[in-house]
Amino acid sequence: MKSSYKFLYTLLAATLLVGVGCQKKLEENPYTVFSVDYFKTPAGFQNGINALYSGLRFLYGPEGAVGLGVDGTDEFTYAEQPRNGAGGTADYLTLGNYTLDFSNGALLTPWNRSYSNINLANYLLEFAPSVELPDNVKTRLTAEARYLRGLYYLNLVQHFGAVPVDLGAGDLKPNNTPFQGFNRLPVDEVLVKNYNAIIDDLIFATENLPDTRPANAFYAAKPAAYHLLAKAYIHRAYSDAAQPGDFNKAYTAAMTVINDPGRFGVALQQNFADVHRSGNDYNSEILFAVERIPGNNIANEVGNPSGIGAGKGIDAANDFVGDYTAVRAPLNSSSTQPVGTRTVTYGRPIRRFCPTPWTYHVAFADKFNDSRYEGTFRTAYIASQTGGGFTANIDTAFILALTDRIADSLNGISPVGPRLKPYRVIAPREFYFIGTLSSEISRNMYPSISKYEDPNKIAANDQTGRPFPVSKLSETYLLAAEAALGDNRPADAVPLINALKLRAAYRPGLSPAEVTNRYDAIKITVADIDLDFILDERTRELCGESTRWPDLAVRHKLVERVRLYNTDGAPNIQPHHELRPIPRGQLDASLVDNPSMYQNPGY
Amino acid sequence: MKVSFKKETFLQSTSLIRINRNLGALLLFFLFALPAFGQTIQVRGRVVNDAGQPVEKVSVILKDSDKGTVTNANGEYEISAPSNGTLIFTSINFVPQEIIVNGRTSINVTLSPSSRSLDEVIVVGYGTQRKRDVTGSIVSISELALREVPVANLQQALQGRAAGVEVQRTGTSPGAGSVIRIRGMRSILGSNDPLFVVDGIPFQGSLSDINPDDVASIDVLKDASATAIYGSRGANGVILVTTKRGRTGETRVYYNGYYGISNVANKYPVFNADEYRAMRDISTWGAGYMPEELASIASGRTTDWQDLMYETAMRTDHNFSVSGGAAGNSFSLGGGYYKETAVLPGQDFKRYSMRGSIDSRVGNRIKIGFTTLNQVSTQNGSQFVNGGSMFPILAMSPLMPAYNDDGTVKFAPNGNLDDNNVGTWTPLLLKNNNNNWVDRIRRLSTFNNIYGELQIIKGLRYRINVGLNFRQEERAQFQSGNTATNPSFFRGLRGNTALVRNSEAWDYTVENLLYYDKTIAGKHRISFTGLYSVQEYKSHYTQVAKDSITEDFVQFYNMAQASPTPPAAVTGGESSWGLLSYMARLNYTFDDRYMATITARVDGSSRLAEGKKWTTYPAVSVGWNITNESFMQNIKHLDNLKLRVGVGTTSNQSVAPYTSLGLVSNTNGLTAPGDVIRYNYGPTIVTGYNIVSLPNPFLEWELTNTMNIGLDFSLFRNRLTGSIDYYSARTTNVLNTVVLPATSGVPGAFLTNIGNMSNKGMELTLTSININSKSGFSWSTDLNLFFNNNKITRLSNGVKMDIGSQLFEGHSLTAIYDYNKLGIWQLHEAALAAQYGSVPGQIKLEDFSGPDGKPDGNINPLYDRHVLGDMDADLQGGMTHRFSYKGFDLSAVFYARFGGLLVSQVHQPLTSYLTVMDGKRSGIKVDYWTPTNASNWFPMPQPTISPISTAWTTLGYYKASFVKVRSINLGYTFNPSMLRRISAQSLRLYVTVDNVGILFSPYYKQTGIDPEGTGQGSQGVSNPGNLRNNDNGNGAITIGTSTPPTRTFTIGANISF
Repeated sequence: MKSSYKFLYTLLAATLLVGVGCQKKLEENPYTVFSVDYFKTPAGFQNGINALYSGLRFLYGPEGAVGLGVDGTDEFTYAEQPRNGAGGTADYLTLGNYTLDFSNGALLTPWNRSYSNINLANYLLEFAPSVELPDNVKTRLTAEARYLRGLYYLNLVQHFGAVPVDLGAGDLKPNNTPFQGFNRLPVDEVLVKNYNAIIDDLIFATENLPDTRPANAFYAAKPAAYHLLAKAYIHRAYSDAAQPGDFNKAYTAAMTVINDPGRFGVALQQNFADVHRSGNDYNSEILFAVERIPGNNIANEVGNPSGIGAGKGIDAANDFVGDYTAVRAPLNSSSTQPVGTRTVTYGRPIRRFCPTPWTYHVAFADKFNDSRYEGTFRTAYIASQTGGGFTANIDTAFILALTDRIADSLNGISPVGPRLKPYRVIAPREFYFIGTLSSEISRNMYPSISKYEDPNKIAANDQTGRPFPVSKLSETYLLAAEAALGDNRPADAVPLINALKLRAAYRPGLSPAEVTNRYDAIKITVADIDLDFILDERTRELCGESTRWPDLAVRHKLVERVRLYNTDGAPNIQPHHELRPIPRGQLDASLVDNPSMYQNPGY
Repeated sequence: MKVSFKKETFLQSTSLIRINRNLGALLLFFLFALPAFGQTIQVRGRVVNDAGQPVEKVSVILKDSDKGTVTNANGEYEISAPSNGTLIFTSINFVPQEIIVNGRTSINVTLSPSSRSLDEVIVVGYGTQRKRDVTGSIVSISELALREVPVANLQQALQGRAAGVEVQRTGTSPGAGSVIRIRGMRSILGSNDPLFVVDGIPFQGSLSDINPDDVASIDVLKDASATAIYGSRGANGVILVTTKRGRTGETRVYYNGYYGISNVANKYPVFNADEYRAMRDISTWGAGYMPEELASIASGRTTDWQDLMYETAMRTDHNFSVSGGAAGNSFSLGGGYYKETAVLPGQDFKRYSMRGSIDSRVGNRIKIGFTTLNQVSTQNGSQFVNGGSMFPILAMSPLMPAYNDDGTVKFAPNGNLDDNNVGTWTPLLLKNNNNNWVDRIRRLSTFNNIYGELQIIKGLRYRINVGLNFRQEERAQFQSGNTATNPSFFRGLRGNTALVRNSEAWDYTVENLLYYDKTIAGKHRISFTGLYSVQEYKSHYTQVAKDSITEDFVQFYNMAQASPTPPAAVTGGESSWGLLSYMARLNYTFDDRYMATITARVDGSSRLAEGKKWTTYPAVSVGWNITNESFMQNIKHLDNLKLRVGVGTTSNQSVAPYTSLGLVSNTNGLTAPGDVIRYNYGPTIVTGYNIVSLPNPFLEWELTNTMNIGLDFSLFRNRLTGSIDYYSARTTNVLNTVVLPATSGVPGAFLTNIGNMSNKGMELTLTSININSKSGFSWSTDLNLFFNNNKITRLSNGVKMDIGSQLFEGHSLTAIYDYNKLGIWQLHEAALAAQYGSVPGQIKLEDFSGPDGKPDGNINPLYDRHVLGDMDADLQGGMTHRFSYKGFDLSAVFYARFGGLLVSQVHQPLTSYLTVMDGKRSGIKVDYWTPTNASNWFPMPQPTISPISTAWTTLGYYKASFVKVRSINLGYTFNPSMLRRISAQSLRLYVTVDNVGILFSPYYKQTGIDPEGTGQGSQGVSNPGNLRNNDNGNGAITIGTSTPPTRTFTIGANISF
């Protein structure tokens, strides 16, 4: 009995001990999540910068960003499968034919993914003075934060016009409150603030980032900042917030990089096709890219690599791909589909976007002297399965001929004779409905952008994981040329353009004389230079790189060129389409008196 | 087990007995006919009712002592008593009997029904109470009822058994769980699961950790006056589980076990070869047939993939227990083994359990005891095998052969090239695992509690309960790589991958309780309970996923044996919380006529911000035993009538730990394992941190105020007993998220206490003895019927509906908001269809309204979508019939739901892709429209089935009503005299058929698919946009494709030695 008492008393003592300090049991001390004070620590500050870089993955590569960048332009329209989104909403169809409304899902990518990073940048810049880091490190990281904030804002402004500089706690201040307002009015004043903030950030970046771009990584460096600064001045020059001298300042910023390639560690590639070649991702022409690692889905934040959109993986490699698996060879009447098995390199034929005939026939009219068509599009496919006379991985299955005439002669149609090739030769007139000739609307096969092909991804259907270029030196040339034109010095633009033409004339194996011949055929004079020419040249240099829509929109050329060159967009496009609608979710969530006041006109 | 009965309780009860003449005669017989001896002997025997059925839980008390025991499920008892002592047998609904031992060692007793024996003691929170004193709404489920259907877990045992307790299955694979809702849902984002309390200690683990055979009884506390003593955890109801304990007497060995074989109850209806061809030929598919299919067409060859895949499954359960005790000490030890396999390969569930309990009495003032429940379970095939395997089985072309000409399995028997491309292999690969995959969850759980009780003075007791629990779970996955010779069913065109997730959780509870009981002047009974308790919980998990394991046979066992790239994906997390509580309860009874209970609990929780941590939960309830009033004494046929009224406040633990802090984390909210913010600078991979949510210092619990009115009654000499309850619960402070505009710079939504919700309902429980003939035949029926009306009464400031979250003010949480499908446009309606941009053969939607509030000739998402109904049953319940004759017993359990809609994702083309009818693959058979078949069910297979791009979701709504026969159970209890030869005390053999049949179901009639759910939230490829996310297990129950439901034939035995 005594032992039982002891037992009971022991229990009682134990419970009293537990009871001691009970209030402590009501305190929370999580191990894996922190308060914003974490960003005041050196590690936290660096990890915040990492998150700012990482957030750019939403804006460079995923389907929403690609769609906003290319769909409904003179370059690209929607292909066979433009329906995606929950419940099959046709986001890319309506984006491409300008029947979009403010519910379009593609708009959400930049809108929903940018402000949290801008706010994080605001935090980091607010805390920076008190972070205990060596001054040189702190200066570099601060400049990176400002470069990145400038980039986030430039992206937003080019699509939506004025966007809030005050997120709820004051201009460019960190917001820590559940703010339900929407500081977008008056639009013209906010736009001025937007450009001032962007340019301030980028000037700071050009002054404080390291000179040289690292050879094997894409830390922001001065060349990228100068490039973006030039771009920001040009955008402002076309805008309602234009300031005198914008073009001149843009020219100066761009030429700083062009004139001093050694200092910045940048140079044009000799061969255009090498700029986007897999394995050459860190080449000297890329000033800044959003990083990813091929084949490493986890490092790329891709949990479901065969998913489409809705994340940080690159869809660009699949979005442009036509249905090469359906192509029958050697003849359209053959039963064999020699590339019937999808391959890692060719990717998943999602067929969201296809080039317009203008891109193929006009922008890339000269596919012979100018190497950039073949450096941009895939023209030949190797068999991926054996059968029907084809051996997998060895035999050419089909090619997309450069001209109808080449196709006809290889196919023995004109001049009439035997077929000259054992594979199928597809004439440009067959593009867009290869395989299903009965259906006029089908756009299942067409020249597909090859710039994003990634042979190192794991499975054919996967999203890809290569660094996604944001700024290229060739574009710096284009920006400088455009700035010269805008600054009424068109002659200064000519050598810049011709530098790109000379490079375009180059192909591996050509003799210098042959390169010169081809260069002579495509080089320009001052008479050729105007804004439309600059835009044409941008297509040749930057085709498919998610910049076309803003390029046209900020230059007020969108409506004109879509009406001329894009039959899907022409019937519906209106001047107000130069700005994207403010997304519905934003207006629904804003506690403001008259939400329609905050919408862009026309929507 | 020694039971200490409070003497005054006992006296009260005997004073109420109206001794009937027979009993009196019997007593006289015992008193005068037999001699008496003074020594102590062991007495055992069996207690049966008029019909000869055993009666369990009969209290057997030695008169004028505190010795006692209760009968087991077979009506048996054993007690040591002086040979001249007197035993008193008492049980609810029966007339107590006093029997003098008179030197006999075997005393069998037949109890007759009583009019006034409500002295049964039932378990309430933190103690027990006489049933007739109970003023709250409590329903008890006996061991007998729990045993009627062989089940894998407690949830299944509860289905259809208690009014107000809704149990819906959430899966059909072995080890799958169910959702329990007591009186509806109160929370949008927090958990709506009831609190489980096992032997007095709150239970945090999974219910599959409890072996149902270890359970002696279950009591469900439903209304606030009963649950308010659980304060911040009481709002969702409380389920009190009492496990088996030992009894004093000779050591007994028990065996309960069964073995069953299961077969598919209903195959999914799919297109046969001819139907498939007809569909494919009319569809958009232009690529023709595969050569093998053309050969099949020529030869008439067809393949039934379901027949090829389904196997016979088994289910078996074996439980041994030993219990006994002497001289104030009793023990019970048990071990169990349960195994269930599925009709699809690769899925099974196994559980080993061990249990022990000790109760020891030291002198007259101290009791101590210990209980331990331990389980190891293994569940195979629940993570990716289940779900991943049904699609090809249902979608493969019936024209494709399953085998090559040489008899080997055809790896890619797809009817279209697209599927060959994405690596859709034959499901027959599942039949031979060959170490190709591992999909295993292994859990270890140990649940222990220790108590000590001290009687300080008469009527005043102190009790301490200490619970210590630990759970560990390992999830192991491996999927082999895909090669030409060894195609991997789960990996398509990819290499191998492995994943291990280890999680552990532990918690402890310490409760200090003080009880005081006092009777004043014979009529005033006061009972007080006081509590101070501390509870803490901590959990942690680590998960590693790795691709490119060097050799497939390594599986997940050593992920270091792998290529260094890509690197492993590592994730982890932790959670912890603490809860401090004070509680006081006062019960007062006057003259057995008027009862009152007042409770108050104060909870302090770590989850809320400083200044908001403490919340008080009051409750009051009163009862009136009307039949005890003098003016009621002359009313015939009415044996008992009691009115109960209660009000109280409770909440649920709806705020997740750390929510109030405002979080900076490295999570990006994307799909795992890519859900950690990463970046790389060249080859250097780093982690990023960002703001995940704002600090939220104002969060409070969701408070539920409940009012309950109940009436208990008993008629016709207790032939008909039952109760009716009406309740109204209003939940305020419902947590909902305010979506901040993206421009606030803080991602995600801001959580605030902003909504209101109401639940109102009625519950009816009836037990009737329909026939009780002298020949020994009896027929009794248990019936429960109930409904609950859930309604969101306030969502947010001025927000009437939140379509994104599928929440609609004035409607249930399970409301379905969509277009109304009227049918299919028919040929004669072509002109009208054209006005809506449609053509015959497409879905015909209702033009519900327009900008002016009336139909406008346009189908528009703004005006024509509306709440079509909800997924709540208008009425549901269960019914059990029990028949017995001599040694035979037969029971049949029915389960029914009436009203409401169900969402069949199988029939939503773009969620399941089984009813797309694009000709690329086969699928679920539906009656689709063609120019010559004027169906109103499915549209014609064509590229556009409606000009409204989301119209396909409307194909998934059906009437949800059904009546099911859950089980039929036939048993035979052997006469004890026959058992002596095998020296057994009792033996019952039985056969059971479960999932017997669907008696009524419009959905089943139309589609051929079981109307019970297979999961929660969207189970398909994409969320159709009209289902709430399955946050915290709150998603609506939906029907997708899953391991098909089975029918099991079981043979079992209950033996005691």
